[in-house]
Amino acid sequence: MTKISRRSFNALVGAAGALSLAGGLSACSSGPRVVVVGGGFGGATAAKYLKRYDPSLDVTLIDAQASHFTCPFSNTVIVGMNEMGYIERSFDKLNTLHGVKVFTDMVTAIDPATKVVKTAGGKTFEYDRLIVSPGIDFKWNAIEGYDEAASAVMPHAWKAGPQTLLLKKQLEAMPNGGLVVIAPPGNPFRCPPGPYERASLIASYIKRNKPKSKLLILDAKDAFAKDKLFKEGWEKMYDDIIEWVPAAKNGKVTKVNAKDGTVETDFEKFKPAVANIIPPQTAGQIAITAGLADKSGFCPVDPNTFESTLAKNVHVIGDAAIAGAMPKSGYSASSQAKVCAAAIVALFKGEKPLPLSAINTCYSLVAPDYGISVAAVFEVKDGKIASVANSGGVSPMGANYQFRKKEADFAVGWYQSICQDSWA
Amino acid sequence: MRGFPVTPVLRLAFGLALAPLAWVGSAQAADQVTVMADACAGCHGTDGHSIGGMPGFSGKKADELKKVLHDFKSGAREATVMDRIAKAYSVQQLDAIADYFASRKK
Repeated sequence: MTKISRRSFNALVGAAGALSLAGGLSACSSGPRVVVVGGGFGGATAAKYLKRYDPSLDVTLIDAQASHFTCPFSNTVIVGMNEMGYIERSFDKLNTLHGVKVFTDMVTAIDPATKVVKTAGGKTFEYDRLIVSPGIDFKWNAIEGYDEAASAVMPHAWKAGPQTLLLKKQLEAMPNGGLVVIAPPGNPFRCPPGPYERASLIASYIKRNKPKSKLLILDAKDAFAKDKLFKEGWEKMYDDIIEWVPAAKNGKVTKVNAKDGTVETDFEKFKPAVANIIPPQTAGQIAITAGLADKSGFCPVDPNTFESTLAKNVHVIGDAAIAGAMPKSGYSASSQAKVCAAAIVALFKGEKPLPLSAINTCYSLVAPDYGISVAAVFEVKDGKIASVANSGGVSPMGANYQFRKKEADFAVGWYQSICQDSWA
Repeated sequence: MRGFPVTPVLRLAFGLALAPLAWVGSAQAADQVTVMADACAGCHGTDGHSIGGMPGFSGKKADELKKVLHDFKSGAREATVMDRIAKAYSVQQLDAIADYFASRKK
């Protein structure tokens, strides 16, 4: 089965056979075809909710990997709180519970004119509407010397998987007294509070296991998500471990050398035991290849339907999309996916898509028992996604231990729920 | 977000622009309340069936959910994050969300 058009699919398996491939659900997937590229928070949720909003849709999910490792909670794997299996999400239930057809293959080309997607495995998928949810890719060499080969020595660990394990191993191998450098990029990038949660949890690891070690955050920015809350926690717990150097104090990393292990700013040179370089980012490669991104490297979309403004019948969601005030987070991607799925169902019916209503809620662990959060509800205002006035925001400053512990517990509950909502 | 229609009558207004060759599809299309309420599922589970430490809505009565949401919005009920979220919705919208989850299968 190298070419999966609706006609050949039906011819091949027949009407009854289609049911078994669709997971034995009673709903026959005889409706319009939607292909979803990418099985992360955005793509998985979109596939599931498309079938939920209209079980007759013929929904196909294609991901280059056989399962998805989530970036949320990957920081807990790096410091040994959880194993890799904890952040691995299977696509099986999307098929067996929801009737989504799942293929492991890499999409290499999208042709909006003929509405066809091509894969590295030589397959062709026809669609009536396409959802592209490819996450991010990296601007290699934006930091001099930091290319893909360098990332095998100085991991970014900004896509969960082998990179997560590499950073974990390096941290474990680091001698007591070794220096950790984390270099977060400028905006916009995936998971704005992520580098600082990572710094926090690594500091907590250092405190317990390598008390002579230090952690230096060499930042390309002067402010970051939840920064007051992070700094409050750092002062309390990691005052002698974490040092944050903002761009204004020459924190920005401009050059690395993977061979001798050095990391440079304009004024200083460091030789850390562990260098976690998080480079500037763009939309996932397929979005760039398909011409869905603008000069910013990300994809302009309609704020209510997430249909690309550059290609008809192609929708872009998640980190790859330019989504106004919505941060590039797993929750944003999942929330956008539902709005996009509802819009696609409406568009197939010739109805006007509903106005966007979306949420982002995101927890960060400053320590395993110390959580902080940011939340916002979004609407479209003047053609742009904006957060609803007088709502949302971050956890209060100065909260007591019980409050922070409760948010740390909610962080785990959040993760369990969103994974269920997206993949199961 | 206060202008969101939450009554079935208003919802019909969105369905007027039927294209001639539109796909008819299945009956349970998403309406505005569905879209609004399903955004909550990321934390509280699909249809409010929380599997972890987040409060679930399964088996809760609409009035019970409404009271909790109103109290989050007003600040009468202590919260970590729901006070910040509930403030984004009108009382009418919170009621519609509560009715939606109360009507889901247990």
